[in-house]
Formats: sequence, C-alpha cells, structure tokens
Amino acid sequence: MVERCGERLKMRNRLCWSAVWSLGILGFISGCSAKNAGKPISQVPDLSGIWLGKAIQSLSPSDPTAQKPGAEGDIPYTPWAIARMKAERPATGRNQTFANTTDPALKYADPDGYPRASIHPMRFKIVQTPDYIYQIWEYNKSWRQIALNRPHSEVPDISWFGESVGKWEGDTLVVDSVGFNDSTWLDPIGHPHTEDLHIIERIRRVDPETLVFNFTFDDPKAYTKPWDGQLAFKLKTDGIMTETIYTISDELRFRQRFLNEKPTIPIRPSH
Amino acid sequence: MKGKVFALGVLLTAIPLFAHHGGTSLYDMSKEVTLEATVTEFIWTNPHVEIGLDTKDDKGKVRHWILEASSPPVMVNRGWNRKSLQPGDVMKVTFNPAQRGGSVGRLIKLIKADGKEL
Repeated sequence: MVERCGERLKMRNRLCWSAVWSLGILGFISGCSAKNAGKPISQVPDLSGIWLGKAIQSLSPSDPTAQKPGAEGDIPYTPWAIARMKAERPATGRNQTFANTTDPALKYADPDGYPRASIHPMRFKIVQTPDYIYQIWEYNKSWRQIALNRPHSEVPDISWFGESVGKWEGDTLVVDSVGFNDSTWLDPIGHPHTEDLHIIERIRRVDPETLVFNFTFDDPKAYTKPWDGQLAFKLKTDGIMTETIYTISDELRFRQRFLNEKPTIPIRPSH
Repeated sequence: MKGKVFALGVLLTAIPLFAHHGGTSLYDMSKEVTLEATVTEFIWTNPHVEIGLDTKDDKGKVRHWILEASSPPVMVNRGWNRKSLQPGDVMKVTFNPAQRGGSVGRLIKLIKADGKEL
C-alpha cells in the first residue's frame, strides 16, 4: 500500500502540473479562436466569479447530514449499490470512522472526482469564455472543462472528473457529463457509481449572489431510476482563492500527532 | 497565568463552527472543555491547521495540548490567516476532547487576551 500511495502521489503531482499547463494552453487557444461557436458572453448569463458552498455530507436532499445512509428514501438504490453502501466505512455521518475509513479520497488521497469536488465548504472559481466554461476548485487545485455546443467524444475517456459538454437553455446552463472513474464517491458519505454514470446538471444564477446546481444522476447499475440532488453556492467578491492539497505526507503526520498512529513510511521532514 | 477549567459541559447538540478532519469518531462532541492557555505553536498546514497550547493547573503543573482546527481555506473564510496566532499568545479556548483521551482536541472557538474571538 505504501508503494501504491507513493506512486499515486507522484502521479498526482504530475497531473497537477499537467493540469496547470493544459489550462493555460486551453485558455490561450480559446481566447485566440477565430471560430466562435458560442454566443458572445454578453448574450448569456454571467456565471463567472468565486463561489462558496456549504459543508454537506450527502447529496440526498432529505438527509444532507448523512444520518441514515442507505435508507434515505429519496435514493433508488439497486442491490449492488446498497451492498456498496453497507461495505464502505465513511469518515462522516452517523456511523463514521476516521481511523479505518475506506473513503478513497482519505485513504489513498485520490481525487474527489465530480460532483464531490464541489461539496467541500471551500471555494471554486468559474471562468467563462464563449466556447468553454472552466470550474476551478481550491481543494486539490483541481478543475474541469465544460465544452459548449459540442457533442461528447466518440469514445469518452474514463477520468476522475468525467467529460462535460454544455449548452445554454435560456438562463440555464445545461451540462451533460459522462466517463467517470468508478472508484470515486459522489459525496462524503459514499454514494457509489459505475463508469456508466451520466450526470445532467442545470446550473442557474438564481440571484446575483447565488448559483444553484440541480443534478440528475442516472446510473442503471447503481440506481433503479434517475435521482436528483442540489448544491447551492454564494458569491464571494474578495478575490481570494487559497489551496488545500491533500497529500499522504501531511496525512501521515496528522495521524501520528492526533491518532498516535505509527507512519507507514517516513514522514517528510519540515523545513 | 493561572490555569483554570472554565467549563466541562455536556451538550445535547453540538453544531461545529469548523469542518474538521476527524469528526465524532475522534472527538467527543457531547463535551466542551474551556481552558486558559498559552499558544506554543500555530501550524498553518494541510490537511488541517494545528494549535499547540500549554495550560497550568492550580499547582502550576503544565499540560500540553494539541488542537485540530479546520483546513486553511475554511479558516480564511472565517477571518484567520497564518499569523492569526503567535507563540506566547494567551487565550481562552473551547474544544471537544478526543474520544481516546489524552491532550488532543477539536477547536470550537477561542478568545484572545484582547477579547477578539476567532
């Protein structure tokens, strides 16, 4: 596991730098594009800005604090998904365990994936261009691209954040996403999904200060019918974007100090 | 500074001011401890900010605590920064103690000597 964690860490560092360069290049290309397939920004709602959400634990609309995971009543689990819920040990909710959690984001420092990336009580920034919308999270400095007015790839890649395409319907941005790595959880309580997950989002700035994402999760192997969730965010105008990058080295040090756990690998010395 | 336990209360409900790395599986949310303390270290770090404190009992015996706060971005949203505390700062601090005992806790709030609450 130690070697695996080390490799994941190295890979994540490479991915972070790759993401930074890719974003810069994409922004440059987008800005220079002679072919502007999208409407001018002035003709569509402005979603840009820094947005801050609340700390919820579950996407279940009836159980945001995760007091009855697996029995919420508003999530139509398949037997496979119920078995997954019972097998996982989240670090939140009623029966939480931190020390022995199976949460992949905590145990392996895996990326949160989507939509879990938006569930931290942290900020994200939306950068809006005529052809692309970028969502950039403080947490783990991760990001996703929503390509406007384009179809999905013929064979979408499987990735942590999926492949997203979008279009404007009046004042609402409708985003269609597929190609999700099935090792992520939808939320901190551990709602599972498969690689067949298909997310439809309807994103609307309901007032100048509030951005609402309405989700429909469609994943027949995990859920017997599509189900809905919602996240809302408040505008922050101070311009601040900080970072929390979750690393194995920091986590081992934390566990040594607060849980008295012996590190599985030597802790990176502080300087 | 005279160390003194101000309160050791059992609450019916506990609404955390901060998101924490470890939740109820690590900390006893039904208890709040309030102490006068002196900061020994303030580590602005991931995954969560850490505060080292010394307290003294009535006989002058020093006890060292470490408290878990929240992650830096969440702390920033609440008006903190990496220089909000300095070693030597004196304060009244309230926290949930660790389930397993020891001198470990989860920060709820603190009031600095000048009355400023963080």
